Amino acid sequence: MATLEIKNLHAEVADEDGETILRGVDLEVNSGEIHALMGPNGSGKSTTAKIIAGHPAYRVTDGDIILHLDEDDLADIDEDLDEEDYRWSLLELEPNERAALGIFLGFQYPAEIEGVTMTNFLRQALNAKLGERQELFEDEDEDAEEEEAGYETSPMEGPVDDGEVGVAEFQQLLKEKMELLDMDEKFARRYLNAGFSGGEKKQNEVLQAAILEPSIAVLDEIDSGLDIDRLQDVSEGINALRDEQGTGILQITHYQRILDYVEPDHVHIMLDGRIVKSGDASLASQLEDKGYDWVREEVYETA
Amino acid sequence: MSVQIPPTLSAETVREISEDRNEPEWLLEARLDAFEALDDVALPDVIQTPGRRWTNLEALDFENLVDPLNQSDETERVSAEGATVLSFVDALDEHEDLIKEYFGSVVPADTNYLTALSAALFTTGTFIYVPEGVDAEDVKIRAEMNSQTLFSHTLVVTEESSSATILESIESGDDVDGDRYFSNIVEVVAGENSYVQFGSLQNLNEDTYHYTLKRGDTDTYSTINWIEGNIGSRLTRSDVETTLNGDGSETKIVGAFFGHDDQHLDVNARVWHQAEHTTADLVTRGVLDDEARSVYEGVQDVGVDAWNTSSYQRENTLMLSDESEADASPKLIIHNHDTEASHSATVGQVDAEEMFYMTSRAIDPQTARNMLVEGFFVPVLEEIEVDEFRNDLEELVQARLN
Repeated sequence: MATLEIKNLHAEVADEDGETILRGVDLEVNSGEIHALMGPNGSGKSTTAKIIAGHPAYRVTDGDIILHLDEDDLADIDEDLDEEDYRWSLLELEPNERAALGIFLGFQYPAEIEGVTMTNFLRQALNAKLGERQELFEDEDEDAEEEEAGYETSPMEGPVDDGEVGVAEFQQLLKEKMELLDMDEKFARRYLNAGFSGGEKKQNEVLQAAILEPSIAVLDEIDSGLDIDRLQDVSEGINALRDEQGTGILQITHYQRILDYVEPDHVHIMLDGRIVKSGDASLASQLEDKGYDWVREEVYETA
Repeated sequence: MSVQIPPTLSAETVREISEDRNEPEWLLEARLDAFEALDDVALPDVIQTPGRRWTNLEALDFENLVDPLNQSDETERVSAEGATVLSFVDALDEHEDLIKEYFGSVVPADTNYLTALSAALFTTGTFIYVPEGVDAEDVKIRAEMNSQTLFSHTLVVTEESSSATILESIESGDDVDGDRYFSNIVEVVAGENSYVQFGSLQNLNEDTYHYTLKRGDTDTYSTINWIEGNIGSRLTRSDVETTLNGDGSETKIVGAFFGHDDQHLDVNARVWHQAEHTTADLVTRGVLDDEARSVYEGVQDVGVDAWNTSSYQRENTLMLSDESEADASPKLIIHNHDTEASHSATVGQVDAEEMFYMTSRAIDPQTARNMLVEGFFVPVLEEIEVDEFRNDLEELVQARLN
């Protein structure tokens, strides 16, 4: 079981002005749990998500983000494991290393990338994750042979190189996951998110999570802009992540709506860069009724 | 401004080249006229921005670069059924009339100093002739430059309702000490309702100065599509142009370049709409690494009589290094209001959000960047009809990335 532990996280925008966004976020997400993170615009929810994944636009000024892993999480690693292999400070890692350890960010606005097919991208990502995982746990004689994994495949015709998961095997996997999400097969041949509708992009984010099987998935407004059918497909995909892969979900949303389909174990409310209130699913309904002013009054009056 | 004729060159040199090849009198005369014209014509125009002349052709040391009597190449030509694909000199035996009619008809020798030099001194090149109704697929010309200097002149003539897809590749063969000069003039005469795709892939070594002018003339309902790939050379000046003379005719000018080290790439795409209902699409994608420089000019010129014109132009340059430099000027000149046109150019670096998206999926930054660069060239690759050409270009891009 993995645990994502965010401790007293302070962060600012990594530019000259350095506007402070996070003022001490504390949060813990375990495998198999679904957490909803709610809050008004500008409260720091998306920033929290991006910092977990390692977005270079933010500077962490205090606090830490720790990923705790256990034997089950590392069952695929062939190396002898030390104590430190079970506890990682994400802030010291590059985004691709965090992903290899099992962190996934579902983007609010996924990038559109022309010329790179979905199939090529996803297989590359899956093989990169499997390869990078082994590397992260290898012993310290690393720089002995810093071989750059050459990328030798055609962006048009798809990879012909090796990689742990071969083309045929991957295509079967992709097909299964797409069926689960009720996605048309033709998506696999399209360029990554290019010309996708808002809903298709969100489905694609969940698809990617399903393929990469993360320990912890942070989903940033995965529900915004979805019609009811797609909301149901996406919700099924999220529930499957939790139920079948034991993924811990941190779901950022403005709306109660998706929580009817993806029932959270915990609900957190963020205001002005901190989590000010946590509770169970009923907190989201209360919020729906009373609005953020209710939270604001409660928090600032007691303070 | 005209350039001095190198003292090593004389009318005698020109005669010697022509006589060695047993050329007909008219061709010798054409060469001598071109030689005479050197006194009067200027180098091609280059882009100037405040305080900067991007490509300094004046600085080319023609005296040392041009060694006309020792030109040498090894060129393999693959024909297609029903078509003629011959070296220029062999073609004179079989198709002298056609060559006489069309040689210099699209690119007159006195276009500029460099075309005049080529017409006077060229020793290699290819003549491609596709008779009426014949489809010539996958014509290939693989040229290796073995001398210090090489002037090549290629002429493509397609008759009514014929088609041709052509790949021309240019590489360096034998090593030669010092700087080199490769000149490549291509003329395409596309007959009524004919279709030509002319793809060129230049990967000369980086001691070579490379000048190319490729120009086509379209007849009614004909199409000329160019694919211009520039990977090699120290300096490239490339002009790819179509004159849409026939009603309902079309052209695409698709370009790809990938410069690194200290390479200099001056890439130009131009179209003149001279008839009714003509369509042009200009797409150029370039990548620069290290200290490489590129300058692009795209011109869409819509003539007075070009009713119902459609004309589009896009150029994108991707910079992989802070030391690389690029300038782009897309130009749209409209003399007929009945025109739908667009033009744009961008110069930028690899998109940080795209990089973050890819690395957040476990892909390491180097691989992510390479995938983005390869994807960037896909719109060009998709236009290429000769599979071998597409594979070659992909391989050259990948080789440069790794």
